[in-house]
Amino acid sequence: MADHPLISMRGIVKKYPGVTALNGVTLSVEPGEVMALVGENGAGKSTLLKILAGAERPDSGVIEIDGVAVESHSPRESQSRGIAVIYQELNLANDLSVAENIYVGREPKTRFGTVDFGAMERGARDLLQSLGISVSPTTLVGDLNIALRQMVEIAKALLIDARVVVMDEPTSSLTEEEVETLFLLVRKLRAAGVSVIYVSHRMREIFAIADRVTVMRDGAVVGVRDAAGLTPGDVVQMMVGRDLVDLYGQRTTPVDGTAVPALEVRDLSCGAMLHDVSFSVLPGEIVALSGLIGAGRSHAALAIFGARKRRSGQILVNGKPVDFNGPQDAMAAGLGFVPEDRKQQGLFLELSVRENMTSASLAKLSRLTVMSGRKDRALARDYATRLGLRQSAVEVAVGTLSGGNQQKVVLARWLARKPRILILDEPTRGVDVGAKAEIYQLIRTIADEGVAVLIISSELTEVLGMADRIVVMREGYGVGEVVARGATETQVMALATGVKEEAE
Amino acid sequence: MTIQANSATASSSQPGEQPSGPPRTPGSRFKTGLLSVVSARESTLAGVVVLLVIVLSLLSPYFFTQGNLTVVGRQIGLALMISVGMTFVILIGGIDLSVGSIVALVSVLTGELMVTAGLPPALAVIIALVGGAAVGAVNGIVHAFVGIPSFVVTLGMLAVARGLALGITSGSTISGFPASFLYLGQGSLLGIPIPVWIAAVIALAAHFVLSRTTFGRHVYFVGSNEDAAMLSGIHTRRIKVLVFVISATLASASGILETARLSVGQPAAGNGYELAAIGAAVIGGVSLSGGVGRILGTVLGTTLLLLIQNALILLGISAYWQQVFSGVIIVGAVALNMWRKKRSR
Repeated sequence: MADHPLISMRGIVKKYPGVTALNGVTLSVEPGEVMALVGENGAGKSTLLKILAGAERPDSGVIEIDGVAVESHSPRESQSRGIAVIYQELNLANDLSVAENIYVGREPKTRFGTVDFGAMERGARDLLQSLGISVSPTTLVGDLNIALRQMVEIAKALLIDARVVVMDEPTSSLTEEEVETLFLLVRKLRAAGVSVIYVSHRMREIFAIADRVTVMRDGAVVGVRDAAGLTPGDVVQMMVGRDLVDLYGQRTTPVDGTAVPALEVRDLSCGAMLHDVSFSVLPGEIVALSGLIGAGRSHAALAIFGARKRRSGQILVNGKPVDFNGPQDAMAAGLGFVPEDRKQQGLFLELSVRENMTSASLAKLSRLTVMSGRKDRALARDYATRLGLRQSAVEVAVGTLSGGNQQKVVLARWLARKPRILILDEPTRGVDVGAKAEIYQLIRTIADEGVAVLIISSELTEVLGMADRIVVMREGYGVGEVVARGATETQVMALATGVKEEAE
Repeated sequence: MTIQANSATASSSQPGEQPSGPPRTPGSRFKTGLLSVVSARESTLAGVVVLLVIVLSLLSPYFFTQGNLTVVGRQIGLALMISVGMTFVILIGGIDLSVGSIVALVSVLTGELMVTAGLPPALAVIIALVGGAAVGAVNGIVHAFVGIPSFVVTLGMLAVARGLALGITSGSTISGFPASFLYLGQGSLLGIPIPVWIAAVIALAAHFVLSRTTFGRHVYFVGSNEDAAMLSGIHTRRIKVLVFVISATLASASGILETARLSVGQPAAGNGYELAAIGAAVIGGVSLSGGVGRILGTVLGTTLLLLIQNALILLGISAYWQQVFSGVIIVGAVALNMWRKKRSR
């Protein structure tokens, strides 16, 4: 190893209102190594990367690149020091060509000061060839698939002489084959002395590509290991770092296996994302829909809730076929739905906690459409108390709360309707650990009260910890069902990816 | 290689959630109650209006005359009806550019029905109102069900309604209204012009609807986050159509009263009213991105805009320059609003 690492981040602290995102994080990357950065959602990976990229300023801590401290914490400085970050949402202009995208901001000029398109295309072609990417520089980026767009983004990074390429979950929307191509490229980068920080929680990829693994949990680094000699089990252990049973709680009321399913879905198809999916949820049962991002789970939830037109198939509530024309019909039948994206689909950010909580119960709180202010306030206070929110928070704009409390507000909206069937799409995304445990406890309680719960989650540990049964989806199809007790991550992952993963 | 030591140990617990909201002291409930009636922004605006009234009465001996106050009051009343409708539209995150043209169309329609066709005034007024409402329904349906942004839909309607008004009359004006109708625009009750009474009732009703009814809540929900509103079981398209009907109906009411005030149905009426209405709402703190704003703010915004217009007249400044002032004030108010919002973060 060199005397000093290429990147050294030490004692990085970053606090947001209500949450400590990073609590003294230390990360070091050697020249020409692939460092995997792993951790659960909310562990602080994204925040750390944003700080490295200069998009966020740390509250305290030191960042050194090549032994020289970073001063301004601006994206410009990070870039000029050779750090290129490839975000999940790629920063490409779809209406421009590959060459134009690669050279954006540093276009070669002719002697008249106009853009030298010839030189740009030749340069782009050489660069793409050297990386083994078979894309014509004149193609519009919008015409490329996601994998190739990612390659273009990497080529762009190399043009600015990046010494560290950061990839944030680069494979989340790639096929197996595309992943292999990406790996080839990563190895080429490594061979050329470029370091790669690779963020992922897919064990197989991490062990295929990483030299070292840094594990984060709850805003801190809990371990740095050489990949050689490490097992996926070790990594998961570090990532989770606690007794699963403690966090998720235990079922107290057994599910009546002979009961009529509260919700049954038969051969449900919807758009191009959902094909012939079948499953059922018993009263008091917690069923998880598992699978990779893009497997069609959220589409299934929206279709069940009446927010998407279904193409074919049947939905039965308490054994009776139903035909929902919209969410209001589903709600009338006793369904509740906590959507995946809290800010885009769940909350009225400018409005108060009270207005958010009671938004699905207005009929109950009004007579002849005139609201009862007293009932409105009483309901909001009641649920604020039950969910451990402060009374004083009831009239505050919901957008000012932390992620965990925002999620509680959305949950309260549905609990206030006393649903018989509750669909929760990623209920703990972007929620800190404390609030997570409370939300799990809440889900347990309502299931024990006989509510049928359908959870969609990308966190396998959560799925295994919470669910009674797991329905696995892949590419819009239901591919299997697993009883959660005794099931392993590997088992579920094998179904979700369609690849038999070897348990190491 | 050897396994490296952990570079940091895990913190076992996250710090607890910080309390949000103002600290509570005894008696603060009463204060928060008062504050919720008049927010800081609205009280500032009210202060500006009062200040303007004081300055005006010092600068011009004519300001506090019965004649001037009646004129200003009527103008505020007529403009306020349109601004209130515009407030609903802006609250759902939309915009209605067609209100000025609707004023013209309804003015012409009232003339044709009452003068040319000789219908009884009450019936003519009702038909004209329904006609105006229908224009709003078209706006709303095209916007909500075809999915065209309201800016584009109502920009089209701005041209269509104005064109209809001009086409129906071949560009000429209609006069010869019965006196009972003219009273609506020119008469007074208890010394206060009729349009002021009507506008006051409309503003109070609108305030009640927005703050106390489920429909009002739905308006805020749709404006704040349409997807979330849909997923909360709200018929978002129905709300949108209704809001555009409200806006067009209130513009029609204003158009009818203006026709009565001027004793003439004219296809050139209402020119530029959309800008005044948008400006009044925005000055009053209604957010163009939807979901934020109250009728009280719109009332103050409308009053402020028209008082300034009156001031310019009283101070003898040419009418040509008045638009310049209005434009600057509208943009200035929005800039001030954004600056305050930023600072409060």
